[in-house]
Amino acid sequence: MADNNNVILKMENITKTFPGVVALNNVSIDLKKGEVLGILGENGAGKSTLIKVLAGNYIKDSGKITIDGNETEFKNPGEAMESGIRVIYQELNTLENLSVTENIFLGEQETKTPLNIIDWKKMEKESRKILKQLNIDINPNTIMEDLSVSEKQVVEIAKAISKKGKILIMDEPTAALSEEDKDSLFEIIKTLKEAGVSIIYISHRLKEIFEITDRVTVLRDGKKIGTVGTSETDSNQLVTMMVGRDIQEMYPKREVPIGEVIMSVKNLVAEGIEDVSFELRKGEILGIFGLLGSGKTSLVKSLFGANPIKSGKIYVYGKKITIKKPWQARDNKIGLVPVDRKLDGLALMLGVKENITLANIQQLGKGFLIKKAVEREKAQRWIDNLDINTPSMNQEVNSLSGGNQQKVVLARWLESGSNIIILNEPTRGIDVGTKVEIYKLMQNLCEQGAGIIMISSELPEILSIADRILVISKGRITGEFKRGKASEEKLMQTACI
Amino acid sequence: MAENQETPVRKKEKKFFLSNTITLFIVLIVMLVFFSLTSESFLSTYNLVSMLSNLSFYGIVAAVLTMVLISGEIDFSIGGNIGLTSIIAAILIESGVNGWLVILLCLLLGAAIGIFNGFLVTVIGVNSIIATVGTMSVWRGLAYTFSDGQSIMAMTPVIDFLGRGKVLNIPFPIILFIIIFAVCYVVMNHSKWGRKIYAIGVNPMASFLSGINVKQVKFLTFLFSGIAAALGGLILASLSGVGMPQHGEGLELTIISAILLGGTALGGGRGQILGTLVGVLIISVLYNGLTMLNVYYYYVQIAQGVVLVAVVATYEVRQKRLQE
Repeated sequence: MADNNNVILKMENITKTFPGVVALNNVSIDLKKGEVLGILGENGAGKSTLIKVLAGNYIKDSGKITIDGNETEFKNPGEAMESGIRVIYQELNTLENLSVTENIFLGEQETKTPLNIIDWKKMEKESRKILKQLNIDINPNTIMEDLSVSEKQVVEIAKAISKKGKILIMDEPTAALSEEDKDSLFEIIKTLKEAGVSIIYISHRLKEIFEITDRVTVLRDGKKIGTVGTSETDSNQLVTMMVGRDIQEMYPKREVPIGEVIMSVKNLVAEGIEDVSFELRKGEILGIFGLLGSGKTSLVKSLFGANPIKSGKIYVYGKKITIKKPWQARDNKIGLVPVDRKLDGLALMLGVKENITLANIQQLGKGFLIKKAVEREKAQRWIDNLDINTPSMNQEVNSLSGGNQQKVVLARWLESGSNIIILNEPTRGIDVGTKVEIYKLMQNLCEQGAGIIMISSELPEILSIADRILVISKGRITGEFKRGKASEEKLMQTACI
Repeated sequence: MAENQETPVRKKEKKFFLSNTITLFIVLIVMLVFFSLTSESFLSTYNLVSMLSNLSFYGIVAAVLTMVLISGEIDFSIGGNIGLTSIIAAILIESGVNGWLVILLCLLLGAAIGIFNGFLVTVIGVNSIIATVGTMSVWRGLAYTFSDGQSIMAMTPVIDFLGRGKVLNIPFPIILFIIIFAVCYVVMNHSKWGRKIYAIGVNPMASFLSGINVKQVKFLTFLFSGIAAALGGLILASLSGVGMPQHGEGLELTIISAILLGGTALGGGRGQILGTLVGVLIISVLYNGLTMLNVYYYYVQIAQGVVLVAVVATYEVRQKRLQE
């Protein structure tokens, strides 16, 4: 494998420490020309630190970086860019009010003499060329905000390669993409490979690693566990390397007896929802699958009073209820774990305790004042029950890991006594270990008589965890599958109707 | 998990607030020492008591307005409100209305003003800066209209007592000031409603999706800020003995400066009633001390601005260092 002539990048024995933490411990990777190297690891494994060292955002404590045989030392991102390193971060960094061309040439506009004025024609022509090279049909004059998320990502890629990028780092690039968009992204990656660009591809998702990478380096706790050729490995081996556990343990499913209907939605019409009817039963995990823009999030919001219902009826335990505002949903024992927990779920600057009791401030003692002892007791109960890993209940929730933050949001609704719990992408951005805990937790809740609505775009997750799956497309239910009767292909097909 | 096992982050955060408050106290003490040494009359009981009586009326407004700021909104119309209330009070007194009724009507006027601001911001959805900068000028304009630009005598026993009366030899406005600060402190630090204000300031969407009636809470903070400003207007009319359309002019900026000085963040979610208390004291001591030293008024204004910017800059520097 060690064909040294082909190696474009070598990172040797990289160590990076932060006060109290060794983020990278003697990690070495190498990257060949025209190769896609996957980097796999749980949250906190050191993936981001490694990338930031390579991109010049962090200065390494020790170790050696060699590019094209020359040892280099990056003191800032500019120097890394000089060496041809480009990073496409998970969060897109595009300027929404400017055109595609302006974004591609941002900071490096082509000019023409004598007055050094911007050469729009040349830039537009270049943009067309690059976009064509990427096999994508976008007009360079389009304003960014009119593009879809995946198109914006393509523009970022175009921007990266327009400036002679030879090493492209993609950090979880599919996090916001639907299956379809992912396919076109992978086409682009293949095109880039053929053009000799080397790519470091960071992802949580095993399926993608198998689909697109040539080799995979696995990190765990800041150490390199190993590098394997993608065709010579399987998910079991990778998961074991990543977490030290077996893949069957990743989606544990316990059979819970399914009882009577606890929620029934009839002919619901709302913004983004055409006509939706379904029932949720006691002990059931009802999966909802749909692409971006299918109406899945609108549906959840309407059930929770955050998206006005135009017509239709909702029954909970046989009683017709009105949900115009979230507090009505809460009072009817419905809880919502939103898709973006930092934006919509948590008050990040407040403590774990305050976030757990957020939906039930009125229950913190009689009268006007908060009874601190009552609040502490409630918070402690959920920290213990859900095994929330926090140094103290006063810890700012901002500093918790994604998985523990998710547990805090869930705890809020358990404290509220919710027995209809809506989880929108419950395990997004959560490490494998905590994912398993969340699944077990969901099943515990079902055993205790709750019903769960789980929206998920992670196919293996929805296929293994949900008892029944509804597929939604263009605001309508287009398919319903019992557990075991669905497959990735069937779900995708139904979702595109 | 044991309560005492706090992580560095939380400790840092605590340290942050602690050191901010310490900075403020140090500034206050340095100023007190400086003025005591340089001015003979600064430390006299007469001067200190009159300084406290004079700061009471805007201290009250500052305490209540802190809640508006922590919820993530702002109310610039307090100054106009003070002017208008002082004029309406004076007109009512002039036409022989009973003093108690004057107080009641003026507080109702303040409530109406607060309701109008709250309506603009929470129901219509106008940005609170724009809404209240607009209404500020409306209230001020009405004050000039009703008074025809003139000062009007505002003397009647009940009203006199509000600004100049004494209980146990303590001026009544100081007592009101202490009571209202204490109430605000309890509300913000120990009440359910105060918790909601903080939560909304930190993340309105998460609060809404947790079933908190965000609009209602914000509406009420505007209502209270309107009433507090009207009370401030009444005290000021009483202290000065006249209703004046210029009463409270520019005061909104002084009050907001005091609040920001106290560590409340523009944009909400962070702030302390005690911080506002120290902020108000610092600004008053600064004015009073420099005036005692016969410093020209223009320079006093410069000093106020410098203190505000310098202290808030230390917050930012410290925050940045903590984040690194």
